[in-house]
Amino acid sequence: MVLTEHTHKAFDADLQELSRMIAEMGGLAERQIGDAIDALNRHDAVLSQSIIAEDSKIDLLQREIEEKAILTIARRQPMAIDLRDIVGALRVSNDLERIGDLAKNIAKRVMVLDGELNLQKVMRGVEHMTELVLTQIKDVLDAYSRRDVTKALQVWRGDEEVDAVNNSLFRELLTYMMEDPRNISVCIHLLFCAKNIERMGDHATNIAETIYYMVEGRPLPDERPKGDNTSTTRVPFRL
Amino acid sequence: MNSMDTANTAIAPPVPVAGKDAEPHGKLAEKVLVRNLDFYYGDHRALKTVNVPLYDRKVTAFIGPSGCGKSTLLRILNRIYDLYPNQRAEGEVLLDGHNIIEPGQDLNLLRARIGMVFQKPTPFPMSIYENIAFGIRLYEKLARAELDQRVESALRRAAIWDEAKDKLQANGLSLSGGQQQRLCIARTVAIKPEVILLDEPCSALDPISTAKIEELIDELKDDYTIAIVTHNMQQAARVSDYTAFMYLGELVEFDTTSKMFTTPTDRRTQDYITGRFG
Repeated sequence: MVLTEHTHKAFDADLQELSRMIAEMGGLAERQIGDAIDALNRHDAVLSQSIIAEDSKIDLLQREIEEKAILTIARRQPMAIDLRDIVGALRVSNDLERIGDLAKNIAKRVMVLDGELNLQKVMRGVEHMTELVLTQIKDVLDAYSRRDVTKALQVWRGDEEVDAVNNSLFRELLTYMMEDPRNISVCIHLLFCAKNIERMGDHATNIAETIYYMVEGRPLPDERPKGDNTSTTRVPFRL
Repeated sequence: MNSMDTANTAIAPPVPVAGKDAEPHGKLAEKVLVRNLDFYYGDHRALKTVNVPLYDRKVTAFIGPSGCGKSTLLRILNRIYDLYPNQRAEGEVLLDGHNIIEPGQDLNLLRARIGMVFQKPTPFPMSIYENIAFGIRLYEKLARAELDQRVESALRRAAIWDEAKDKLQANGLSLSGGQQQRLCIARTVAIKPEVILLDEPCSALDPISTAKIEELIDELKDDYTIAIVTHNMQQAARVSDYTAFMYLGELVEFDTTSKMFTTPTDRRTQDYITGRFG
C-alpha cells in the first residue's frame, strides 16, 4: 500500500530512517551468517574472531533503533499504521539482534571443531540449511522494506523446509555419535550450530508475522506449520 | 453477526455498526440516535445524511478537520441552531426514541436534558455560587439549604469544589481558565441533564486543566451520555468509547475508539488520524 505523505514531513523522515536502520542491521546480520559458515567450513580462526567483534555493531544498531523509535513515539504520538510501523521496527530489530547473536555463537564454536571426524558430508547439510535460512532472511527483509504481506507469508510458510533439513541433520549427527564416542564433542558442537541456524529461521518467521501485523493491523490468525521434531526424535542404539 | 447488527437492522436506515471484533455491544442502548440528518446554513448543506448513535452512558468523540460539521452536529443535538435565522435541520434526532427536530418542542426542557459546554469557558458574570444556582432555580424551587447542597454536589461532581469552596461568593470570572471550564461543567451537571455535549472543552486549557477535565469526563460517564468534539486526537483516543470521523459534512466512519485509532477501515480516517491529510 502506498501511503501519502504526512503533513509534517519530518515524521516521514523519522519513519524512513527507522526502516533504513533495519535494512542496515539486516545486511549486517546476513553477512555475519555467511561469514560464520565460511569460518566453520575452513576452520578460520581469524574470521571467527572478526565475526565476534562485528556483533557489537548489530547490538549498537539495535539500541539506536530503540532510541529512535521511543523518541519518535514521544515526539509524534503516532496512530494506527504509523504506530504499528514503529512497534514493528522495534520487534524486527530484536529478531535481527538475536540472529546476530546466533551467528556469533557459531563463530565461537569454530575453533573447537578441529575435526577427527570427516565433516564434509555433514557440513554440506549445514551449508544447505544455511542457504535456505539466508534466503528466508533476505526475502523477509525485502518483504519488510516493501511492506509486502504476500512475500512475508511465503517466508512464514517456507520455514517448514528448514525444519526438515534440521531434522535429518539431527539424525545424522546422532548416528555418528553412536558409531564412535570420539565424535561426540564435534557432533554436539555441530548440533548446536545447526540448531542456531534453525533458530535464525524461526526469527525470520517472527519478522514475517510482524510484517503481517504492521500492514493488516491484526496478528496472523493461524498457527505456523511447525516441522521441527528434534525434541522428540530418538535413534535406536544398535551394537 | 453480533447483536449490534441485528439491533440496527431492526430500526431500519443504516446506522454505522461498530466492528465485529470490538468490545461486546450486548446491552448498549441508543440514548440518542441521529438518522438521515441534513443541515443547511441557508443554501449551504453542512451535514449530508448523517447517521450516528450516542450510546447510553458512553463517551462518543467526534473528530475531523475544521468545517467538517462536527460542531454543527453538536449544535443540532440541543437545537442551539434555532437561535439563528436561516438554519434548518432535516431528518431525525431521536432522544429516547422521540424526534427532537420536530417543531413544537419545549426547547428549555430539551436543553435541560441535553446540556452543552463550549470551547471557551463562559461563566456568567456573577458569583461562583450563583453560576450554579441560577440554572437550578429555572427548573426547580428549592429551599436554601437544599440549594446549597445541590450547588456543592455539582461543584464536587465537576472536581472544582476544593478550589472553590472558600470563595463561593467570588466572581466566577476570577477563576483560572481551567477552573472556569470546570465551573461551566458544574453548571451543566447541576440541572441533572441526561446528555452532555462538550464542544472542544479543553482547547483553551493548559495540560493540567485538560487532564482534570478528562478525568472528570471519565467519572461523569457513569451517569451521563457524553458527546465530545475535539481536535486533539490523543484526547479523543483517551476519553472516548466510540469515535466518529466526519469529513466534508459526511460521517465517514464510526466505531469503537480502540478500533478507530488502531485499525480504521476507511482510508480517509487513517489519513486523518495519522496526520496525512490534505
